[in-house]
Amino acid sequence: MKKGVMSLLSLALSVSMLAGCGSKPEEGATGGAGGEAPKASFTVGMVTDAGTIDDKSFNQGTYEGIERANKDFGTGLKYQKPAGTTEAEYTKEIGNLYDAGYKFIVTPGFKFETAIFKAQEKYKDAKFVLIDGAPNSGEPDAKPVVADNTVSIFFAEQESGFLAGVATALQLKEGEAGFIGGIQIPPVQKFNWGFQQGLNYANENLDTKVEIKKDNVVYQGTFDNVAAGGQLASQMYSNGVKVIFAAAGGVGVGAIQEAVTRAKGGDEVWIVGVDVDQYNDGVYGDKSVVLTSAVKKIDQAAYDMIKAETEGKFPGGQTLTLDAKSDGVGLPAENPNLSEEVLKQVDEVLEKIKSGEITVSAEQGDLLP
Amino acid sequence: MNMIKSLAAVLLGLAAGALLMALTGHNPAEGYKFLFEGGLKNPERIGNTLATATPLILTGLSVAFAFRTGLFNIGAAGQMLFGGFCATAVGHLVDLPRAVLLLLMVLVGFLGGALWALIPGILKARYNVHEVVSTIMMNWIAYWTVFYAIPSYFKGGSETESRQLPANALFHENWLSELFQGSYVNLGFFIAIISVLITGFLINRTTLGYELKAVGFNRHAAEYAGIAVKRSIVMSMFISGGIAGLAGVAQYAGNASSIQIGILPTQGFDGIAVALLGANAPLGVLVSAIFFGLLYSGRGFMNAMTEIPPEIADSIIAIIIYFAATSILIDRLYRKYKSRRAANKKQGG
Repeated sequence: MKKGVMSLLSLALSVSMLAGCGSKPEEGATGGAGGEAPKASFTVGMVTDAGTIDDKSFNQGTYEGIERANKDFGTGLKYQKPAGTTEAEYTKEIGNLYDAGYKFIVTPGFKFETAIFKAQEKYKDAKFVLIDGAPNSGEPDAKPVVADNTVSIFFAEQESGFLAGVATALQLKEGEAGFIGGIQIPPVQKFNWGFQQGLNYANENLDTKVEIKKDNVVYQGTFDNVAAGGQLASQMYSNGVKVIFAAAGGVGVGAIQEAVTRAKGGDEVWIVGVDVDQYNDGVYGDKSVVLTSAVKKIDQAAYDMIKAETEGKFPGGQTLTLDAKSDGVGLPAENPNLSEEVLKQVDEVLEKIKSGEITVSAEQGDLLP
Repeated sequence: MNMIKSLAAVLLGLAAGALLMALTGHNPAEGYKFLFEGGLKNPERIGNTLATATPLILTGLSVAFAFRTGLFNIGAAGQMLFGGFCATAVGHLVDLPRAVLLLLMVLVGFLGGALWALIPGILKARYNVHEVVSTIMMNWIAYWTVFYAIPSYFKGGSETESRQLPANALFHENWLSELFQGSYVNLGFFIAIISVLITGFLINRTTLGYELKAVGFNRHAAEYAGIAVKRSIVMSMFISGGIAGLAGVAQYAGNASSIQIGILPTQGFDGIAVALLGANAPLGVLVSAIFFGLLYSGRGFMNAMTEIPPEIADSIIAIIIYFAATSILIDRLYRKYKSRRAANKKQGG
């Protein structure tokens, strides 16, 4: 009995530990920049959201932006990984960065809203960049309070989803599409609704026929359940879906893996990636299942804020929304799976969004949930 | 002996951690200096260490209690989550003077966790379903129940979090935060201390505790001695789950003020390591949980002050836990060594 318990125990522990250290340590926090890069008067720290620094999404995007800024301006960089996702744990890591002299702090994700709300008051001589959220007290109907030492950044995800939808419809001409979301939160919903509007627009104006059925719009409920992502994708593909837009972090990774397996077996299946260019995640042989990605230029946002600070132009107190016009959202620079023709048409659509001829709604309206 | 074993496990873990730091090109002495400073440097950091330790004390106690009665409660995470959820519901829905409300939340949190462990307890007692399997399943039932219930009934500012509890229903005390200079340590810590004392008394000084332990040692012997074995199993799961439920109260109404959906609290699983390192004794659990709290709390400071990346810091903690969890190995090695020496002596003499 005892032996059985112990072996079960070690199994359980190793499982929980595997979960804890699944990521490989990144070549990261290496302090100041090497070479002749100029030395900025401040150092930049980052606190990661749930998930690892190489999550192919928020954390990674933010980190890459800071890394680039470090190369250009010598701002240094350091990231802290909180033990959990409560406000107290975020606050603790912000405090650690501050105590260690990192007074320009970038935090990705809406979960930091309440932590930044308190930190911007507590550390008045520090600067904060909150991506995808606005600081607030967390009480019901609380008004966002962006202090003078904080910038809050949002993205027009719907425009990015719209472009991906148009590109998908144009490239595939006809067939069924699906959507897998993580948790049903506004940024994910806006991707979904934008994507549907994109498909509809192409079907109505550009002579395509790519439909999306209600059953094939699914929110998995987490951002990290890779296995569930694979299952959902498998179901959809079996039901005749040709392309899945996966806006779901780790769940999307599972969907990509499923697509790769099927593509290797000769099926024609596609994934539309999210947040960053996910082309490389879907590579098999010399091809990739990732048709294109609905990109949010998180790295650019982080970079721009640091750059502004080096020039003494930090837009403290402001709430910025980055959209297609400001080049904050869009498709990746390279799209090997889209034809020249398609790219040209997508560019025309992009211009129309920029000029305001097409407006993409951030609301559900009569779209699928 | 138990204490030596645990200390050896900690020292081995720290040594292995030092080795890892050295191998990755970092200075172990400096790393550990900042690790401990990060948890102890000033009153605020000490308070944060205690607050971090609070849920760990309770989940560790929960697991240790079940162990002592021969049960392996791997469902502390789910019990904690559900207990915390019940207490949160009470905090939102009931309007009473603060002292009464907090006591009610503690009681309901205990019952919520207890209920979650009661089901595996009954399954074990009546149908001999192994509690490891059923408690893990209950973890996921709690996860999805909360996942559904929070957005439906207690939706907060964001989609993935409950509304914040009103100040009246929180275990925060201004004098405590002031004493620890702005730390988030709260009354939950006292719940943990009281639970340690009560559990210690229950296990070591009462007939009930004696019976529960007897069932743990040898079920058949206990039955033969006239102890109601099935009742004992159900009872010990009930108490174990209740203690885990208290961890939920301390976490969600003390350390935090809302529940996030989509996350099983990690403290549930860490509780197993805490219990093992504490040799399943209530006081041992208290000490080992504070040690874990120190590691978790100081880790961030080590990371900020040195070039040791957070993943390495995580691995170091994992290694220490690993050695703690395998402290049974140390026991075995020690016994082997002793018996060999005894054998040598015999041969020599």
